[in-house]
Amino acid sequence: MTSKPHSSLHTVDRRHFLRSGAATLALPALEAFSAHGASTVAAGAKNFVAIGTYLGWHQNAFFPEQAGHNYEMPATLSPIAGLRDEFTIFSGLDHRAPNGHGAWSNFLCGQSPKSYSLDQKVADSIGAKSRFPSIQLAAGAGESDTKEGNGISFTRQGIKLPQVQRPSVLYKQLFTSKADRARTEYLLRSKQSSLDLVLDDALRLQKSLPSRDREKLEEYFESLRAVEKRMGRQLETINDPVPQPDYELPSYDPITPNLQIEAEQIMYDLMTLALETESTRVISFFLHGLGQVFSFDGKALGSGYHGLSHHGNNPAMIRDLITIETAHIHCLAGFLEQLKAKKTPQGKSLLDDTIVLVGTGMGDASRHSNANLPTLVAGGGFNHGSHLALGGSKNETPLLGDLFITLMQRLGIEADSFSNASRNLNQLFS
Amino acid sequence: MIFTANRYLRFAGVAVIHFAVLATPVKAEEVPAAIQDILFKNCLQCHDADSEKGNVNLDRSSIDWTNSNQRALWQRALEAIDRGLMPPPEKKSLTSEERKTALAFLDEKILEHTAIGGTLPRRLNKTEYESTIRNLFHLPEFRLPAGFPNDTNYHGFNNVGEGLVLSPPHLESYANIARHIADEIFPPTKPAPEKKTWSAGPEDMVLSFSAAGVHGNALRLASRSVDIMRSCSWPSKIEISDSGTYKITVDASKFLSKSGSPFEGDMMLEVYARAVTATDRSKVSDFRLLKKIAVTSEEPQTTAFQADLYEGETVLFHWKNARMTHDPPATGEAFEVLSKENPRFLAAWLKTVFPSGDPKRPIRISNLRGRNGWDTVSKYMADPDLDLTHATTDSALAQAFFKLAASKGKASIADCLCYFYHTRGPAMEIHQLTIEGPSKRIESPIDLKRRERQLKITGAPHKGQAREDFVRGMLSSFLPRAFRKSISNDTIESYLNIATRHWEKGHSYEEGMHLLFRNILISPRFLYRCLDPEGMDDFDLATRLSYFLTQGPPDETLIDLAQRGRLSATRPSRTDPSKVEYWVLRRETERLLPTSHTDPMIQSFVGQWLDTDTLRGIMPDPKFNFDETSIDIAKYETEAFFTEILTKNLPITDFIDPDFTFSSIGFVQRNYGFTPSKYLGKNLNSAAKQKLQRLEIERGGRHGGLLGQSAILTATANGVDTQPVVRGVWVLENILGTPPPEPPENIPALTPDTQGTITPREMLAAHTSDAACAGCHQHIDPVGFVLENYDPVGRWRTEWPGKTATTIDASVTLPDGTEIENAIEFKAWLLDNIDLFSKCLAGKLMTYATGRVPNYAENREIEEIVKKNRENDDGFRDLVLALIESETFRTQ
Repeated sequence: MTSKPHSSLHTVDRRHFLRSGAATLALPALEAFSAHGASTVAAGAKNFVAIGTYLGWHQNAFFPEQAGHNYEMPATLSPIAGLRDEFTIFSGLDHRAPNGHGAWSNFLCGQSPKSYSLDQKVADSIGAKSRFPSIQLAAGAGESDTKEGNGISFTRQGIKLPQVQRPSVLYKQLFTSKADRARTEYLLRSKQSSLDLVLDDALRLQKSLPSRDREKLEEYFESLRAVEKRMGRQLETINDPVPQPDYELPSYDPITPNLQIEAEQIMYDLMTLALETESTRVISFFLHGLGQVFSFDGKALGSGYHGLSHHGNNPAMIRDLITIETAHIHCLAGFLEQLKAKKTPQGKSLLDDTIVLVGTGMGDASRHSNANLPTLVAGGGFNHGSHLALGGSKNETPLLGDLFITLMQRLGIEADSFSNASRNLNQLFS
Repeated sequence: MIFTANRYLRFAGVAVIHFAVLATPVKAEEVPAAIQDILFKNCLQCHDADSEKGNVNLDRSSIDWTNSNQRALWQRALEAIDRGLMPPPEKKSLTSEERKTALAFLDEKILEHTAIGGTLPRRLNKTEYESTIRNLFHLPEFRLPAGFPNDTNYHGFNNVGEGLVLSPPHLESYANIARHIADEIFPPTKPAPEKKTWSAGPEDMVLSFSAAGVHGNALRLASRSVDIMRSCSWPSKIEISDSGTYKITVDASKFLSKSGSPFEGDMMLEVYARAVTATDRSKVSDFRLLKKIAVTSEEPQTTAFQADLYEGETVLFHWKNARMTHDPPATGEAFEVLSKENPRFLAAWLKTVFPSGDPKRPIRISNLRGRNGWDTVSKYMADPDLDLTHATTDSALAQAFFKLAASKGKASIADCLCYFYHTRGPAMEIHQLTIEGPSKRIESPIDLKRRERQLKITGAPHKGQAREDFVRGMLSSFLPRAFRKSISNDTIESYLNIATRHWEKGHSYEEGMHLLFRNILISPRFLYRCLDPEGMDDFDLATRLSYFLTQGPPDETLIDLAQRGRLSATRPSRTDPSKVEYWVLRRETERLLPTSHTDPMIQSFVGQWLDTDTLRGIMPDPKFNFDETSIDIAKYETEAFFTEILTKNLPITDFIDPDFTFSSIGFVQRNYGFTPSKYLGKNLNSAAKQKLQRLEIERGGRHGGLLGQSAILTATANGVDTQPVVRGVWVLENILGTPPPEPPENIPALTPDTQGTITPREMLAAHTSDAACAGCHQHIDPVGFVLENYDPVGRWRTEWPGKTATTIDASVTLPDGTEIENAIEFKAWLLDNIDLFSKCLAGKLMTYATGRVPNYAENREIEEIVKKNRENDDGFRDLVLALIESETFRTQ
């Protein structure tokens, strides 16, 4: 099978009002959503979006050759050249984590793979204010993949969070139809009304157990309370006017891995809508990479995505790899442009209110090295426009976690450490 | 944790003593003078209250043995002395008399105060949960949704109580699945479907391999192969959401060749219904034929028809009477015919396939795959200087080519020929597809299945039976299976209440049942196993046995035995009448023990014990030529090997040095570099080389046994380099059963420099020269380094990679002082010390079976079993049976 992301690119463009800005949201006035949190936003950014690839970013095409403001735009980033003043490129940052595929998932986790990830830390601090404390998305993984899914978001307990892959599912969650809402409400209310019977039975059971077992079972009751609370919150808002965007989803879900680029475009559109309608403040988006063979302009690439990442310095394979990565950035460009064009009720651009972190836990997939992770930060109201080359002696070079601390502070979270990092990079943005 | 607790003790020491003197009976026992002397002379220099080196303080005049933290501390001390880790090498060691006295004292005290048992309540892990749902609800295909939270490993296994945390995302997932299951049994009434129209043009159709090509405004098909990926196309962006009758409209035309023999008659286009999720490896016959269309003209003709399509389907196009098939002999003949018609065609192919002009040296045929091959051939065909010397069908070169095209396994040639037909014809052209509807809703096979399933789960009420009575009866037979426990009437009533209360509010029967099942599925009684105030009863024993051996819930037989209290029945042992034997438990164990390498227990236990479940994530560097198929074979080897030893009751020494393995000849030749003697000098075809089978090998060789198996050597490397430390830790943990303590923080992993300037041996030496590292690394490094002759995929090598090749010297000194040259001698050493391995394996099985890490007393029982088993032929199956009969297994 081959895909034709480019040919479908313009159909997506045409269909999606957002880029043209022609349509508006059929909302009960956008300003209605500005009621909460208005006084705190002036201090910094409000939303956080993290985007991570599984197979890294080819370093030579991601890092500019020159440091500072006057760098020449590297190949992979060419689609966002026009947004030069809206982002900063970082080189030299990593988590000092061990090499190999095993440590890959630590993009947002810091030194230990599969631990409390940055997005979840942020969601636990600021997520509760919106309908969805956080949203986790993925593209390119394929639903028939039987392997343990990869991911980038982990709870405090180190549990990997599920990711939504079907745009239609995300859309349904964000903008449920009336019929769906009635069904959801029925399910929630009937559940709520019967839960006491299950709970009574469970408590009777718990009481009879020895003390160690009783304590262990507390995990169950804690979880049940959390789910109940969430159900309560869902019920509170279920009859709120749900924004009904004038947005037409494609009639199919591009979930097969070779439709990844198309999936990314749609996901970015929906992410913009989610942020704009304040449905959530925290999103993580995972760009997977398996053996899928992409076609661009009707021509299939020489090898699958994963195969290309092991390029072994073969120029033809590197060229194809950069083609894919540039396509990722092309989609990102659409996202950043949409955010920039949208205004918050305070008159700020949505991009200034949203920190977009783009990176990976894989420094160089060809060697399975997890050092020097390609990283980019856009938006969030920072002073952007340069390439910050943070090389130097191994012990002095800041950690990627130091950047995370700065991002958290920007979001109004009092944080002075993250994983193995305890400094910050605030000075670099001043 | 232990050490923090000790710190507190020291801090609060004074207060504790006062309190003890005044109020409570002293639980702490005085340490005998002889022991105090030994500690003072040998240990307290570092481990007194002031230095507390490594956070260990052994300066106690009395010890409270009932305190588990205290016991854990002294157990560590015992193990450190026993394994010779303490006192450290640079200090004076204990005299043998002191050693004996100290070990005997600690052993007695710890054993006296350690009770057998202590598994925490465990929620079902992912696999167990999945198979339980499949079983209970007759949903053999049920799979957890992709994002279901993963289990956490604890001591190497994903089913240990401490690791099986239940968190809010879990409960949320359980609740979602519960709703999904309830929907399956009592489907909510669907709103009437909206009528829709889907259209697909050539651009929206799947191009699989070379099955189809887009030319202008048409999609062209060329082959009638039964393999859909080689012949068919289908729109990937259409997925029917409501089963019903639809109007399907297809525009198709003939595309005829300008030269050559004409295509006579109509072209028959078949339209099938294909599940969107069906694999591309399906055959045409796997699908439902909807319509045969006779395509009669070169101008697009429109055909419309009505057909039933089910939820989740799309349509598939197949050209029934295409000239081309993908059968090898027919491909050869097709080439002959085409070559006769067009010598330039033949000449171009010959130039492509035999660039050297030598009929014995064709290029790699797979390089022709797809457009690559056709681009080359058509470029040559257009070349005015094309050499036509051999372009007659009877030339030697042409004959060699036809033979090649007619041979098996050369589908790439046929794929490439598809391109010829796509561009030159004859080909089937499809221009447009439209699906409109549904005009009528129909019950799909899925709906029908749902109704049958409901009947299986709930049964049907007798005539005139009250709703409540029917559901009460249903619960009294369903709940014991769902909760794996005998269920009190109170519990039955409280669940029945869920439904009755809902009915009272005016909801339908189905809605009440839907709610009831949703709640059963999030009850802790369902989610956890073995919740019992009294310890284990027969139900819990059945549950433990069943999940251990089958990964699934107890079957009818076990539930029946448990209900009658027969599973734990005993009788006097035939070999030793002073003891009893659990003969029913033993009989059931024998019934349920896995028999095939694909059984879930084998896959799960072997994968987790030996870490071979990590193989798929490793992706070895292409230079090792170790692809997905190699990984499959390597995994098969280890799993089939384990199964053979288990089912044939072979001695445990066979794990280390067997005279057999399971693999394919091809893999053994390629990866292990030898040919089993039976096959020496034999000329095997490729099918024989790929066949997976039991192979005899020589004992005492490089390969064979766990330590020489590719799966394990790959799993303990990272796909690029070997990592002797990782392998060393792995051997300590999984072969010798003496895991080293956690490494200190801030130490980066050792990444060997493949430039070859420093050999791994020199880099590793750094560990043992630094005293801080030496303590652990003198144990870790040798048992990892001795495997250096195995490369990251388990091939034997004699030189390290790098610019300047260095000969590998894998000789090491084992912690017990034995000097060995290489992995072969290491295996011999293991055979001499086989109890170390047997205890380790038995301990792993017990951890996996009981969901707890065996404690001191349990390890003692395991040791006894291992010893007794060795004295009785050392069969592995016997060992497993004995472990299941042990008190450790039978205790909560």
